[in-house]
Amino acid sequence: MQSQTDKAVEYLIVAERLSKSVMTSEGILDILSSIDLLIKPGESMAIVGESGSGKSTLISLLAGLDTPSAGTIRLNGNDLTVMDEDGRAAIRNALVGFVFQSFQLLPTLTALENVMLPLELSGDKDAKIAATALLSRVGLSHRLTHTPRQLSGGEQQRVALARAFVTRPVILFADEPTGNLDSKTGAIIIDLLFQLNLENNTTLILVTHDQVLASRCQRTIRLESGKLV
Amino acid sequence: MSHFNLALRLLLRDRRSGELTLLLLALMIAVTSSTAISLFADRLQRTMGEQAAEFLAADLVIASSEGLPAHWLEKATEWHLDQAQTKEFPSVLIENEEMLLGSIKAVSENYPLRGYLKITDSDYAQEKSVQNGPGPGTAWVEKRVLSALKLKLGDPLMVGDKKLIITRLITYETDKRGDFYSFAPRVMMNDADLQASGVLQPGSHVHYYFQYRGDPKALTEFKRWIKPQLNPSQRIMDIHDDRPELGGALSRAERYLGLSSIVVILIAGVAIAMTTRRYTERHFNATALLRCLGLKRRDILWLYGWQFIILGFLASSFGCLLGWFVQQALFHLLRGLLPQQVASPGWSAVLFGFITGMAVLLAFALPPLLRLKQVSPLKVLRRELEPLDTGTGLVYGMAFSAIAFFIERYTQDFAMTATLLGSGLIALLVLGLMIYGLLRLIAKLVPHVSLSWRFGLQGILRNSKASVGQIMAFSITLVAMVLSFTVRTSLVDDWQKHLPEKAPNHFALNIFPEQQPAFKKEMIQNGIDSSQFYPVVRGRLVKINNIPVQQIVSKDSQGESATHRELSLTWAKDLPEENKITAGKWWQEGQQRGLVSVEQKLAKNLKINLHDQLSFTIGSQQMNVTVASIRSLEWDTMKPNFYMIFSPGTLDGYPSTFLTSFYLPEAQKNVLNDLVKKYPGTTILEVDRILKQVKTVLLQLTKAINYLLYFSLMAGFSVLFAAVYATLDHRIQEGAVLRMLGAKRAFLRKVHLIEFGLLGLMAGLLTIVLSEVMLYSLYTHVMHIDYSPNYGLWLLIPFVGSLSVSVAGYCGTRQVVNKSPLTVLREL
Ligand SMILES: Nc1ncnc2c1ncn2[C@@H]1O[C@H](COP(=O)(O)OP(=O)(O)OP(=O)(O)O)[C@@H](O)[C@H]1O
Ligand SMILES: [Mg+2]
Repeated sequence: MQSQTDKAVEYLIVAERLSKSVMTSEGILDILSSIDLLIKPGESMAIVGESGSGKSTLISLLAGLDTPSAGTIRLNGNDLTVMDEDGRAAIRNALVGFVFQSFQLLPTLTALENVMLPLELSGDKDAKIAATALLSRVGLSHRLTHTPRQLSGGEQQRVALARAFVTRPVILFADEPTGNLDSKTGAIIIDLLFQLNLENNTTLILVTHDQVLASRCQRTIRLESGKLV
Repeated sequence: MSHFNLALRLLLRDRRSGELTLLLLALMIAVTSSTAISLFADRLQRTMGEQAAEFLAADLVIASSEGLPAHWLEKATEWHLDQAQTKEFPSVLIENEEMLLGSIKAVSENYPLRGYLKITDSDYAQEKSVQNGPGPGTAWVEKRVLSALKLKLGDPLMVGDKKLIITRLITYETDKRGDFYSFAPRVMMNDADLQASGVLQPGSHVHYYFQYRGDPKALTEFKRWIKPQLNPSQRIMDIHDDRPELGGALSRAERYLGLSSIVVILIAGVAIAMTTRRYTERHFNATALLRCLGLKRRDILWLYGWQFIILGFLASSFGCLLGWFVQQALFHLLRGLLPQQVASPGWSAVLFGFITGMAVLLAFALPPLLRLKQVSPLKVLRRELEPLDTGTGLVYGMAFSAIAFFIERYTQDFAMTATLLGSGLIALLVLGLMIYGLLRLIAKLVPHVSLSWRFGLQGILRNSKASVGQIMAFSITLVAMVLSFTVRTSLVDDWQKHLPEKAPNHFALNIFPEQQPAFKKEMIQNGIDSSQFYPVVRGRLVKINNIPVQQIVSKDSQGESATHRELSLTWAKDLPEENKITAGKWWQEGQQRGLVSVEQKLAKNLKINLHDQLSFTIGSQQMNVTVASIRSLEWDTMKPNFYMIFSPGTLDGYPSTFLTSFYLPEAQKNVLNDLVKKYPGTTILEVDRILKQVKTVLLQLTKAINYLLYFSLMAGFSVLFAAVYATLDHRIQEGAVLRMLGAKRAFLRKVHLIEFGLLGLMAGLLTIVLSEVMLYSLYTHVMHIDYSPNYGLWLLIPFVGSLSVSVAGYCGTRQVVNKSPLTVLREL
């Protein structure tokens, strides 16, 4: 058995005995139970499982978007479970990038503004330059001033990718990033995702239903009814 | 009916959503307040009517200088009206070698039909209220009669040839006229003794008062029947007549009540429109689905229509009930001030409250709701496919008509309705333009500010149409509140100004010129503040430009009474205080005699113009003067006021006395006895009772109005929350994404604070402009009060606007900031 500190040095994410349960009208519902997970820096990992098995819940916990009912999560040595919401927000801003199935772009901001946002939140003066560069990298240099409504789904997801990578995150979480796209567009997005991942040497945690996509990751874990199998 | 059932089920499923609660609340506030106000105003009005009846001792009085034709009296009997009559005339009383000009009042059996007399058995005994006059063979007198004639209770008093026993002292006479010149001390006797006294000879100067009481409808009919038959010496008085001693306070207060009720309806209406809008937008998807499932557009309309009708019915019923309680509570709170007998609540007022609710809902909720009808079933496939806004013309048209209807209903005053609507419409237009301009200005700032400010500003700018609407709604709300607050304050101030603490409450009349210096000295010695002493000559206006006045004056006009009684004429070197020249010039030092200055209203009624020739009879002489100026004056100051002021010297040689008014506190009343003893010829008129009553009435109104202000406050808050709710969905998403990207809660709070604070600030600034314009037109054209802007409010309003919107925004967006970002993202 390794000591806590050793683990923290060696692994980027250390999750121990992670559980999540919620109160519903029919009583307590266990969504995740006692999950242990170690992820090394630079590693890429796919989470697969049936719909409703708890994949999104797990990834949200790991990213600090929500708090577990029990267990601990260390992200780059920071114990998320003892932090308050603002502390986690700071960690998210500094270390984490996100891509969602439903893009989650702000409808009133332009593509450029959407990408600049995380940099601006951390007070980066050169937000515009970095954002413009990244948008060209994803092939949208001609759509900078367009709002999400004026973009196709694939283009929106590319903006979301640019937004996720613009802070040079240590870890990227992607929850079914191609779920809303046709297979061709999806493939383009995935290629882009892996390229960016490689360029930035980012740790990648990817939720997917797609076996082929999962196999492009170094490791795959499977969830069944909230348990690792 | 199947629509109804489905609508009911959908409504029940929807009950958890915030906007329905808010809608119900807003509607309930509107109904509660309009029910409470209309009930309250209705009851107050009728209570005041009853009080007015007390002043007349009847519901309707015909004043006449002669008896009435017998068939008039029969007609009154036909209408089942109770009748009484009084005759008033002066008569010289002589007892113990003392002489006194008494004002005799012979009363019939039923007198007084309304109100009561107060009498005592002796100087010190408790006052007693009675509802009858003296019996045959007896007389009730004012105390002054006893001291002047060296009599005591139980002594006989000769009135003409009839010996009456003085059995009581009169301390209060319900229908004692505020006519300051019929001031001789009262002797009241029974009508039955009049014949025997023989004082009434053909040609004696008698005022007959024929008094009636009965069903309001019958009275109206009777009045209508009698009116065309009156001769110039006859006059009808009833409870609807203006009561000059209240200085228009009552009618102003009634207008104010109506106004504040409209204000509440308007504000609540804004809240309803806003919540319905959000409700509609949230139901786009469901509606598209229903249409995919085969519902036609008409069905959709009915489905939602029924839901709103059910809502309206619930809110209106409950609001009526609440309104009834509130009104009851108001009367309870005011019970110390109101007369014992308060008129009972009227059901029509409750019904009106209910109709208000349904009408407000229809006017403000229908236009946004109509959008649902236009939802395309294709929206199921393409989320962004939103139905067009229903013509904004319809929205504003409906709201506008509703407001017009309510204003007209409450004020029943076309001028006021037109003024309010006209200035309101212009104001809205100007407002919209100004907001647009402000937004343009703000847009210029965006590139130069920090991130949180940028987000705050962009929050306002990104949907500028919605922001204009929101700021407009806030402004209207604020304007409404400022309006009701300011109008209230100036009403009360105005009343207080007219009734200063030490307003004169006594008049001294008939002070002989040779006694005047001594009288004045006596006042000063006793520390009594008196107004100027005015010389008075009694005279009658008989001709204007050589045409007899009787031919000029129409029967109903107010000038009438001035023409068939003697006027108090005075002269003055300088223009008395509180008099203002409105036409012509006040005379200069040493200018010629033979000039007169006429009071404005009288001049208008008698159609007197500058340079007209007026002829007066004074005693047996006639004199002519030229009108040199027209004056306005403040009637309700309780200082001596004169219709006619002559240039110095004009009235030289005519017998004159002096007149003054002064303030005497209750505790110093015994000074009066000394004065009366020392100057027996002088008459002291005690108007402090009338004044006290006026004060009481105004106080009750002020208090009631204060309570009603809370309604507009509540309605205002419902708007605030409605506005915050209207943008909540958007904010929730934005907040979640920002937090996912690492924004701190403090940052989000700051963004919201900036956004709402700015919205409030802009609304506040516009409110100042708007309310100043509206207040000005309201004051000058409707309330007829002088207007001066309140600069304190200029500072306060933007601050309050900013603060209240921020607070509401802060509370409303708490969940955006506090929920875990995942929960929020899941809900999207
Ligand atoms: N706040 C909540 N209240 C009740 N149930 C919840 C809540 N959050 C998650 N669940 C339940 O927990 C289970 C796991 O949800 P989760 O979204 O993690 O599944 P998933 O594996 O991502 O599914 P999918 O592949 O369909 O996205 C689901 O059955 C879901 O209904
Ligand atoms: Mg999921």
